[in-house]
This record gives sequence, structure tokens and C-alpha cells, in this order.
Amino acid sequence: MEEKLVQAPIPRGLQKVLGVEPQRSSRAAAFTEAFLASSLQQPDNQDLKNLLTHKAVILGYTRPKKQRTKRSSKKAKGLTAQQKKALKVFQIRPEHQRYQLFLPLHDLWRQYVRDLCGGLRPSCPQFVQQKLLKADLHGAIITVVRSKCPSYVGLSGILLQEFKHVFKIITAEDRLKVIPKRNSVFSVEIDGFVSHIFGSRFEQRASERSAKKFKVHGSIDL
Amino acid sequence: MALQLKDKEAHQRLNYLYQAAHCVLAQNPENVELARFYCFTQKTIARRLVLRQDPSVKRTLCKRCCTLLVPGVTGTTRQKRKQRKTGFTVVRCLSCGQTKSFQNNPDHCLWVERPEAQLEQQEQQGGCSTALSCL
Repeated sequence: MEEKLVQAPIPRGLQKVLGVEPQRSSRAAAFTEAFLASSLQQPDNQDLKNLLTHKAVILGYTRPKKQRTKRSSKKAKGLTAQQKKALKVFQIRPEHQRYQLFLPLHDLWRQYVRDLCGGLRPSCPQFVQQKLLKADLHGAIITVVRSKCPSYVGLSGILLQEFKHVFKIITAEDRLKVIPKRNSVFSVEIDGFVSHIFGSRFEQRASERSAKKFKVHGSIDL
Repeated sequence: MALQLKDKEAHQRLNYLYQAAHCVLAQNPENVELARFYCFTQKTIARRLVLRQDPSVKRTLCKRCCTLLVPGVTGTTRQKRKQRKTGFTVVRCLSCGQTKSFQNNPDHCLWVERPEAQLEQQEQQGGCSTALSCL
């Protein structure tokens, strides 16, 4: 009811008193819009859109890291850890390299171990074992005899790199395998003399092994 | 001489690693990392057991990245000239850019070659037909 009153045209008597001109709906609408546009202070929608498209909105703030150049106090002999990581890792070369290329290395290893033992082989195997402890195993053909993980058993190949906890070998199928030392028994064969190595006791870097002595433990279980 | 025996084993090991690095490089000149790994192991062993290495061996190893330097393959060799003194041979490691310079002095005498050092030298280790380094 009240809405109709509001929308009803003004009676003529009141028109003259108020001094208002009655208007039709369309003209009234146009008048209202113009009135609103002039009276209200609003930025144009166009400007808003421009603002949003061209303004750079900072979502996060990160500074580019400056590479600290070490001053001349550090001499060129030093190696940075990043450099070590970048260079020393074995890259995907073995995919290109074949197993045959490492056979001369294995030959060299055999000569080396023969020289190391020096003909004492048949007499006492313990002596040879002791020598083998300090010897270098790079280039030997290693076979996994027993292991807690059954998929490792039976793998054999030429040892390329020896790290603290793993061996890296290349198998006859030109695949680079990484075998952890723990919980595995490896066998090294030289001129008919087979020696079993318990990997769990060998968890040292190759260089540390020749420096440290080995204690005699009790029975070793896998 | 118990000490001598332990040293002998260690020296044989160093020796073997050095040759292995050469062998690997000979097979595949591009595979520098494995040679570098062997030389790094060699250096670490020598450092741990405090063994002296022959200068001729040390000259072919890069001090910074332990690459085995082979002129033409892993390192470049150039001749430089200084005004007053004689020329220098500059070997540059290709992997890390470290330079080594040697003076071209024909009369340069290493400590090892001097007669005083000869007197201290023990008898050379036999059985190792391919021995390169000696104390």
C-alpha cells in the first residue's frame, strides 16, 4: 500500500504548492541517474580496472641472494662444499660406458693384489685377509653372497666407487648399481682365493679403512 | 722395521690408485669424475697416514679439485714470460680453473734429489714393478 502511495503521481494541487514538475518514469529514471552521478564522488569503473591491470601487486618479498665472494683471506686451495657436490658426483656416464671398458682396471687390480700378497696365499689365509683389510677394493669384482634384502643377492660387478655406506658397482649389463654395505656379505675372489667381507663391519670411507685398525668381534650375524 | 711394512702397504695402495686413475682416463677421456674420485681417495689416505708424496706425483694433481691433470685432456699448458726471470709453464685445470705455475729453471733441484736426502733413503721397495713414488 505504501509503495503505491510513493509511486503515485503527485496531485495537481500539490504541484503548484511545491513547485515540482511531474515526470514520467523514464525521465525520472534519467534524472535520478544524473543526480546520483553528479552528487556522489565515485571514481570511474574504467579507472579502477586500469589500476588493477597496470599496478604491480606485491605478493611476497624476496631479495635475490648475493653470492658472497670470499675475500682474499681465503686462498685458492680451499674447496667449497657446493663445488664438491657439483663436481665429484658420478654422472650418467655409465650409460655410455660399457662394462668392457673397466676390464683393464680389473686387470690392474689383480696385479696389485698379487703384488700385495706376494705369494703367501697358500700358506695362511689369515695373513692375506689382513692384507685385504687394508687393501683398496676399487676395480675388484664383488659378488653379494648373503643379504637381508633378497634382491641384492647374486649381484656382481666391478667396484667403481666406495663411499661410507655404499658400494657403487657396474654390472655386466652396463647398469650402475648402488649397494648399501649394511646387512650384506660380499665376496671377493682373487686367483682362486675367495674372501667373504661382512659389509656391516666395513662401514668406513675407503681412505679411513687403511688408517684404522679392525677389532675382532664375536660371531657376526647378518 | 714394522713401521716400514705398514708404510709399504699404504704406498702400494696410493700407487695403485694413481695408476687406476690413469687407466680410467685412458679408457674414457671424458670421464673425469672417476679419476678425480681416485685421486681424492689417494690424497685423503696420504693425509691420514701422513705420507709424503713425490713432487712428480703432486705436480700432476690439481690442488683444488684433485683432478688428475693430463696436458691436453684435463688441463691446458701454456708458456708465460716474465720480464726479468725466465719463462713460466702454467698448467690450468679445466674443471676448476686453478693454475699451477712452474719456473723453467733447468737447475731446479728438489729436496728428494739432493745427496742429503739420498742418505736418508731406505732401500727401495721391491716386488712393486710399477712403483713411482719413493720416500
